[in-house]
Amino acid sequence: MSRKYSITICDGPTCLHKKSKELESAIEQCLKEHALTDKVRINLSGCLGMCGKGPILIVKPGYTIYGSVTLGDVAEIIEKHIIKKKPVARLAIEEDHLYNRFFRIFGDVNFFGKQLRIVLRNCGIIDPESIDDYLSVRGYEALAYVLTQMKPLDVVEEVKKSGLRGRGGAGFPTGIKWQLTAREKNSEKFVICNADEGDPGAFMDRSTIEGDPHSVIEGMCVGGYAVGAQKGFIYIRAEYPLAIKRLEKAIADAKAEGFLGDKIMGSDFSFDIEIRLGAGAFVCGEETALIHSIEGHRGMPRPRPPYPSVQGVFNKPTLINNVETWANIPVIILDGAEWFKSIGTEKSKGTKVFALAGKIKNTGLIEVPMGITLRSIIYDIGGGIPNNKKFKALQTGGPSGGCLSEEYLDTKIDYESLAKVGSIMGSGGMIVLDEDTCMVNIAKFFLEFTENESCGKCAPCREGTKRMLEILTRITEGKGEEGDINKLQRLGKLIQKASLCGLGQSAPNPVLSTLKNFRSEYEEHIKEKKCRAKVCSTLLGYEISEKCIGCTACKKVCPTGAIAGIQKSLHVIDQSKCIRCGACFEACKFNAIKRI
Amino acid sequence: MLTPLETVKKKRAEAINRIVGKGYLSTKRVYVGMATCEIAAGSKDVMEVFQTAIKNGLTDVYLSQKGCAGRCNLEPTVEVIEEGLVPVKYGRVTRDMAHQIIERHLKKGEIIEEWVIR
Amino acid sequence: MKKIKITINDKPYEVDDGQTIMQAADKLGFRIPRLCYHPKLSIEGACRVCIVQVEGMRNYVASCAYPVSGGMKIQTNTEEIRQARRDIVELILDNHPEDCHTCERDGVCELQRLAHLTGMRHRHFEGEKKHYDKDLSSSSVVRDPNKCVLCGRCVRLCSEVQNVFALGHAHRGFRTVVVPAYNMPFKDSVCTACGQCINVCPTAAFVEKNFTQELYPKMGDTSLIKIAQVAPSVRAAIGEAFGLEPGRTMELQTVAALRRLGFDYVFDTQFSADLTIMEEASEFLERLQGKGKLPMITSCSSAWMKCVEQFHPDFLENISTCKSPMSMMGAIIRTYFAEKIKKRPEDIVSVAVMCCTAKKYEAARPELMVNGLPGVDMVITTREIAWMIKSAGIDFVNIKGENFDEPLGLSSGAGAIFGTTGGVMEAALRTAYELYTGETLMDIEIQDIRGLKGVKVGKVVMDGKEIRVAVAHGLGNASKLLDEVRRDPNKYHFIEIMGCPGGCVGGGGQPYAGSNSIPLDEECLKKRAEALYGLDRSKTIRRSHQNPDIQRIYKEFLGRPLSATAHRILHTHYQAKKPCGIIPRELQVR
Repeated sequence: MSRKYSITICDGPTCLHKKSKELESAIEQCLKEHALTDKVRINLSGCLGMCGKGPILIVKPGYTIYGSVTLGDVAEIIEKHIIKKKPVARLAIEEDHLYNRFFRIFGDVNFFGKQLRIVLRNCGIIDPESIDDYLSVRGYEALAYVLTQMKPLDVVEEVKKSGLRGRGGAGFPTGIKWQLTAREKNSEKFVICNADEGDPGAFMDRSTIEGDPHSVIEGMCVGGYAVGAQKGFIYIRAEYPLAIKRLEKAIADAKAEGFLGDKIMGSDFSFDIEIRLGAGAFVCGEETALIHSIEGHRGMPRPRPPYPSVQGVFNKPTLINNVETWANIPVIILDGAEWFKSIGTEKSKGTKVFALAGKIKNTGLIEVPMGITLRSIIYDIGGGIPNNKKFKALQTGGPSGGCLSEEYLDTKIDYESLAKVGSIMGSGGMIVLDEDTCMVNIAKFFLEFTENESCGKCAPCREGTKRMLEILTRITEGKGEEGDINKLQRLGKLIQKASLCGLGQSAPNPVLSTLKNFRSEYEEHIKEKKCRAKVCSTLLGYEISEKCIGCTACKKVCPTGAIAGIQKSLHVIDQSKCIRCGACFEACKFNAIKRI
Repeated sequence: MLTPLETVKKKRAEAINRIVGKGYLSTKRVYVGMATCEIAAGSKDVMEVFQTAIKNGLTDVYLSQKGCAGRCNLEPTVEVIEEGLVPVKYGRVTRDMAHQIIERHLKKGEIIEEWVIR
Repeated sequence: MKKIKITINDKPYEVDDGQTIMQAADKLGFRIPRLCYHPKLSIEGACRVCIVQVEGMRNYVASCAYPVSGGMKIQTNTEEIRQARRDIVELILDNHPEDCHTCERDGVCELQRLAHLTGMRHRHFEGEKKHYDKDLSSSSVVRDPNKCVLCGRCVRLCSEVQNVFALGHAHRGFRTVVVPAYNMPFKDSVCTACGQCINVCPTAAFVEKNFTQELYPKMGDTSLIKIAQVAPSVRAAIGEAFGLEPGRTMELQTVAALRRLGFDYVFDTQFSADLTIMEEASEFLERLQGKGKLPMITSCSSAWMKCVEQFHPDFLENISTCKSPMSMMGAIIRTYFAEKIKKRPEDIVSVAVMCCTAKKYEAARPELMVNGLPGVDMVITTREIAWMIKSAGIDFVNIKGENFDEPLGLSSGAGAIFGTTGGVMEAALRTAYELYTGETLMDIEIQDIRGLKGVKVGKVVMDGKEIRVAVAHGLGNASKLLDEVRRDPNKYHFIEIMGCPGGCVGGGGQPYAGSNSIPLDEECLKKRAEALYGLDRSKTIRRSHQNPDIQRIYKEFLGRPLSATAHRILHTHYQAKKPCGIIPRELQVR
């Protein structure tokens, strides 16, 4: 099959509304008439961010974007562009947005087609170690633009107008944060890039920095200019050696080219960036703990107010944003706040990067427009659940997030919607769980992480997570008691409402959300001493079925002599002697032993 | 004196010139994923195969590294881009596959369909 | 100050803007339960006991940290917040040994009080408890992490007030523990033994090294002569351990009680304070005449001595060579007094009743030995002696007072004020002035150097020469003062430094704060100091050199101040110590 042509149809909500589905059948029909079905591939993409001009078609090669396409235009596009190789100038729209470069290369792959890449616009298409590559994709133009055309407060206003919200998890409006720092009267201010990515399984920040370090640096420069800071810190964990190496090179290159340092590009603005390495404590992703760590103290959060925008690193006003937030900035400047805010939902604008993992066909790093449904992520991008297993739950937001059941899959991705159903956006972990997952065990897994990573400062988090973990462990070991669920809820609510920092306040979320959505599993563990997913080993029993041929293999491995039976006859397990070690299950070659 | 915007436009033109000078306008451009995840999946080997081929006389090919595009379960990834054609994305590329991509795709223009990411 | 309107528990109030919810509530008579909060230290916000509900806030708010604002609606005592507060205290208790009845702080424990206050009658969440070994290595302070509730007061005090940085948090989560750097034994750390961690600790995670059990067998040994000396500030505070108001002087009752406990002689450290003044004033005048370095810095405070050897070795030559009053008394007991009663020095048990834990460390310093024996065998703090008195069934409050024994029991008013910050300086100037000028100093109360300001300065004119003096209390203030001297070495002639806030009255061995007060409360420190100033005023002899027993000891034994004999037994030397811990990077208070 020749791969010379592809036609991408925008499948975003607005384009769908403008009858893009009908376009698809018209194109199929037209291709059939011209016997081109084998030569041209049709793709559906997620929102392409050009809703005002929808429905949108993109025809490759040439990457011609056609806007406001009607059914009547289809034949003309196929005859002129595909057959005569002459694009239809009448319908073509000129778009040089930063984000669509990625799409130009990857847009015809289903996995990428549904995505919208703003933060990851250059990841996977430029050489991250070459400042020339970054310059070639309009790198540092946003910085030059603000230095030439905008007053610092205009920049703050633009970011405010864009509706961008903090991508570290809490979703505080970025523009407001900038404004709070900008209005402080202090000759010395700092900006910080929080690259202390600590959620298990999350690698959004690492990929962004490894794939496009300059975009983060440029974002920070713009931020520094907007709030009046002279110095930036990038706080990144030491476990990311390649990202650190690329950042170091990027900073050195940017200095050599005059994008960092004194009087940047001949302006009055001077700005420098320093890398600080974190030792890997999860809590150092919390802004006040991170600031303590930069100052050389033990990374422990402190009560707010005062907020970092008033009193941050070295007690100076400090603007602290996450990697993903910073990487959005150059796009907002170059493509404009108006464009940016056209993407997403009413209160959550732009895109969000997720690390898609777990029981899903296509694992990977994705960037999707806000407002896409969880179902679309799992089935359209992720390709669904492998091995014909049934979907059970989606865990979002890492150890601070929650587990959502099937009924919530049509939830749209935005800060409020996810919070409403008991999870959080978080920094972007997304783990798909299938029917083989025990929800009590999953809650225990995440709580083990937060219990271990609690900084130990405040009593509810330090002591409370330990007690919750003890109760969960008890439940998974078949020692759950009447009243344990109430205790988990009482402790969980206390930790949420009384802890000092965001880590503590969100630590019980995995437990509370599974209690809400999968309460029956807890009850089964406690009352019936049963784990339906057959994960909690002490709750399993073993039974020998008719398939047994009497090979004695199981009898030989049983450490307690619980299996009786003579050669070539059905064996039996004495349940009172069985310690549920599972050795017989492993040893049986005839699938005769069943977990019950 | 140039404004910052003029400065950056000048620098951009220079940068593009330098990239072109490195052979960007070759018929085929090959990009090998080189983020931590890709390297862990073996992309250094793949990169080395392409580098050796160019050293040994493979011409009209522009080779570059790139960051992670996000297809974790298909790494290492390699893109072959030719103007006028839909870009070809290969997944789970091994050393041996890299050799074949050079022989069949880069030299003969054959797209190895079964390795292409869709 | 701008006034704002708030409501607490649905009742409207008008309060000052710019304060925390807790401060506002305190002034209105709502004492919100609290644990990690201490008014002298930075806000930790760690225990979460002081949480309240604020309308419109999703979570509870730590009232110690959150500022009030106009229109704020605060709830301090709803069913919900009471349960949350109770549960938090239970979580803390669940990880705390349940050994109240065998604990040193039984009855004077803030955690006990808090459990009672929050209505802890059942347990819901019990589980694993932490297990650590006690650190018994220090000669002064015992560290028991099992009892620690991680309020962080000790850590903040040691760094913010004392600038010593001996303690810090280590490890994470449930395994978090407060330890010296590298978890090294306390004795090898930078700890100066000041014992302020004991004072601020709400539980018994820090207690003094208790010597009472070692003392009892000696008290029962009839072949030994048992001698006690009592520090000035013990009498100003010991009453508090018996439920009396701070500031009640219990001087003569203490003497009587010590006799009832079996001491053969009870001497007054105020006598040896007078002796110290004779030596120190003379040394100062010598230095003033060019023999030795200025400014001269006092050496009475043991914690300060360890501090200067560790952190400020560049000032070692400035330190007076005089031993502390306790060690001078010890030396005199072993020599002059032993001879007088015709006993061998080794047959004397020399016990010092002190307000101080660092004195335990000082007593063990080898350079202070006299003829191969330590001047003081055992240091017993105010807390320990109060317990011994109670334990022996002595009716301390109502006991008839008795006088100190001769010939080491008579003291001047100058000796009494040694126990409070500025007192040593004041006492020394009273004598130095008169020794230098030969005239009588008329105005002997030097107000500029009294009070609780961190660093106080004053001046006296002696024969037309202006003598500039400075006084610092608390090691953090000492660091600040020394930095000032480093910048301008000629700024002062004479400096007094005491290791503890308030001087010895605030020592690490003083009674624990009562149920309605806070540790290191300034009002309490002021009252204790006032008790000592009262003693001074009540005496007819208020200048050390006029003490007839001092004059006698010079005549009979020492000759004159700074004589060879005096040098041999009353003076000492110091050396730079390289602590095994981390030297604080910044000598500035955070």
